[in-house]
Formats: sequence, structure tokens, C-alpha cells
Amino acid sequence: MSIFRMGHDEWGRQLVNGLSWNLLPVAFWAGVAVIMGHLVVRTLAARRRRRREG
Amino acid sequence: MAAQYPPAGVELAASTRSAAGGDAAESHGRVTRHAGIDRLFHWLVAVTMLVLLATSLLPVIGIRFAWVEVHWIAGILLSGAVLFHILRAALRKKLRIVVPRPADLAELAGARPGKYSIAQKLTHTAFAMALLTAIGTGVPLMIKAGTPFFERDPYRFSLSTWGWLTVLHDLAAFLSLFLVMVHMYFSLRPEKRMYLRAMISGGMTRDELRQYHDEQRVQRGE
Repeated sequence: MSIFRMGHDEWGRQLVNGLSWNLLPVAFWAGVAVIMGHLVVRTLAARRRRRREG
Repeated sequence: MAAQYPPAGVELAASTRSAAGGDAAESHGRVTRHAGIDRLFHWLVAVTMLVLLATSLLPVIGIRFAWVEVHWIAGILLSGAVLFHILRAALRKKLRIVVPRPADLAELAGARPGKYSIAQKLTHTAFAMALLTAIGTGVPLMIKAGTPFFERDPYRFSLSTWGWLTVLHDLAAFLSLFLVMVHMYFSLRPEKRMYLRAMISGGMTRDELRQYHDEQRVQRGE
């Protein structure tokens, strides 16, 4: 997966044009991963607490 | 030493909400967490960031529309709001209240935070980095695109420089997308909803302040 969007100048030299749009889903799914991770941790912690309290 | 009420930096919004009187009345009092101007700033930034993310990223996923004008107008509104926020915080000497400090690590061992938790301070720092990067690179990119405020001049910088400015602008956009998602999730969590309520109404109950914050740290402006 490329990190940059590449282009060329008028002499054909390769130039960086921006970040690769392939990284957009990475940012989105990183957010989803943090949210899901937190939900799992909270659920496990609540289950453990309930078990400890009988 | 007896705790002072309200602590410095925490203004009493309404002394009582209960007819019980005495301590009960005090425990149901509300304290102001965010001044009206700060709430206006927060929601202005929220709306402009969502507009900026939508106008920049929707075309990437194939939803095409004339986005450039809406994008730079929202960008200018956001830049003005952030500039105002920085100046206001600096003039009121409140910059340090949101800066994470080594003392905040005590929260990991169960200590209660001052006005802002370490997670809130880190979130603010991340948002500040993303926004300042977006604004710092967005202003020169407005020169490239041309707006009523900046005469179009695509030759101001080399192609390589424009490219790297765009890289940083894109990075700020991707970071913002991640931060907005996580921030919205945590603001809707039941245990954090009091902070969302405070960002809407301005206040939290005195009980909530006592339960979740160290009033002495709040008093010291931490």
C-alpha cells in the first residue's frame, strides 16, 4: 500500500502530491478499532465486577 | 483546611436546586464548567470540522459536488475561532490547564483529576496538533486555490512544496477523522455524559464535581 499520492512535474520528475487516499479507510477503521476495543474492555470489566460481587 | 466553595475557576451557577436546604441543597447545586463563549467555540469548531471533513473526504469516496468554496469558508471560520480561542486562553493565563503534566500520571493509580483528566488533556493536545497543522497548511493552500481573501498564485511555491503542504493537510484531515470519531464515542458514553451535558448547558452538579474531580486541584487551576 502506497503512503503518498504521486505525480510528475513538467520534466517528468516524480513528485509527492499528497497522502494516499488508501490511508482514509485506515484512519476510519483505527477509530472503529479504538471504539470496539474500549467496548470490549468495558464489557469484560463489568462482567468481572459482577462475578466478584456474586 | 476547609475546602472553599466554589473553588477558584469554578463559578457557582445556581446555588440550589433542592428544597431540602443545608448540605443537601448545596450538594445539588450546580457549578459552571464551561463559560458560554467556550461552549460557542466548541460547537463552532465541531460544526466547521464536520463540514471540512465532509467537503474534503466525501469526494474521495465518490460523492462528487462543488466542495471547494464551502471548504475554504468553513476553514476561515475555523481559523478565526481557533485564533480567538488561543488569544482568549493566553490572555486569561489558562493555557496550562489543558497541558498534560507528569502529575497527571497519578490518575492512572486512581487519583482524581483537576478540571480536566489526562485523557481529556491528551485529546485536546491531539486536536490542537491536527487543527493547527490543518490551518497552517490550509492558509497557503487557499493561495493556491484562490479565494476572495487571497489572490490565486499557484507559483508562490514549488510543486514539491505544494505537495508536502498537501501531505500535512491530508494528515491533519485523517487525524481529525479519527479524533472526531473517538471523541463523539466517548462523549456519548453513559459515564462521560455529564461532560457532554456540561458542554451543552455549561454546568455539572456539585456531586459530580466532587465524585470525579479533585477540588483542590481544580482550585489550584490544574
